[in-house]
Amino acid sequence: MSDDFVLRKLRALREADSGWEASPEVETRLLEALRHRRVARTWRRSATVVAAAAGVVGLLVVRQTPVQTPVEVAPPARVVLEVPPAPALKPAEAPIARPPKRTNTAKFKVQPVTAAEVATEFFPLMDTPPPFERGELLRVVVPAETMRTVGLAVSESHLNDPVQADILVGQEGLARAIRFVNYQQ
Amino acid sequence: MIEHEQELLERSLAGDENAFTALYRQRQGSIFRFALQMTGSVEVAEDVTQETFLALLVAGKRYDASRGTFTAFLYGIARNQVLRRIAGRKHEALEEQQGGEDPLEDLTRRETVDQVRRAVLSLPPAYREAVVLCDLGDASYEEAAAALECPIGTVRSRLNRARAMLAQKLGAALGVCNV
Repeated sequence: MSDDFVLRKLRALREADSGWEASPEVETRLLEALRHRRVARTWRRSATVVAAAAGVVGLLVVRQTPVQTPVEVAPPARVVLEVPPAPALKPAEAPIARPPKRTNTAKFKVQPVTAAEVATEFFPLMDTPPPFERGELLRVVVPAETMRTVGLAVSESHLNDPVQADILVGQEGLARAIRFVNYQQ
Repeated sequence: MIEHEQELLERSLAGDENAFTALYRQRQGSIFRFALQMTGSVEVAEDVTQETFLALLVAGKRYDASRGTFTAFLYGIARNQVLRRIAGRKHEALEEQQGGEDPLEDLTRRETVDQVRRAVLSLPPAYREAVVLCDLGDASYEEAAAALECPIGTVRSRLNRARAMLAQKLGAALGVCNV
């Protein structure tokens, strides 16, 4: 039996199969995956830049250890200063070029005000991150517009507002996830 | 790979949805049919097609036109996906396609096509992929060699051997005698 016989049969199969294509659902799933990758990549880039900047700035960036949610933090205390009224001076006793006397009678009352830190869930910045061994959380300030890239709603008028965020940086130095932080009195 | 496709690939890798859609629509048919003829399963072929184009989004940046055609590169990805799935898996019957005017002729043709399909699916994978790429697909010998990661001579010898095996199988199935 010659090659021609086999090639004829194969050609018949080729023609019969020429109409086969993947279903439209495959294209839909692929486009969804592409959109997801695009968002993740945008996030990864911006978060990496932010994390790198935070690392360089170092001490200038507020850096905290991992915090639990919600966490009670002590914001700047409200200080009420009670100073006794100055005694009336006689003209003759009026001090001239005399440094003011430091009073020791001032009484400080500290009234601590607590604010609860409320954080969102962590949003992944990597599609398939390497195994997590250790990492650190970097507290940074980003524009509120950043929240949109993970699907959080931000009104147009607040896009440029500063928002605090925690970036989880893995042992390899890559930003793995981000969450946004707010305070509630 | 034509220049237009090179541009589509680059734009796809940059996240351009329209470019990716255009590239997918140009190439998905041949990849789907390659997987279908290698596995005999529509479900697996769809899975392979999807995974191939997903892998392209990651591996596409490694594509080097000076080392081979885009066709060979894409078939290479699809081949890896197929080989992962065909080990120890039986093919399933394909759904019937719409026939023509004459039911008897359609039936006869389908029977012949089914016999050829079964014969191809019964070939060892190394021979089957040569036949599917070169005889059933649109790959040149050079492209097949690049996709199969073997010399062109090996592709030729596998094709000869595969055709001989098919001749034997089809001769028995169709009742043709050697004279």
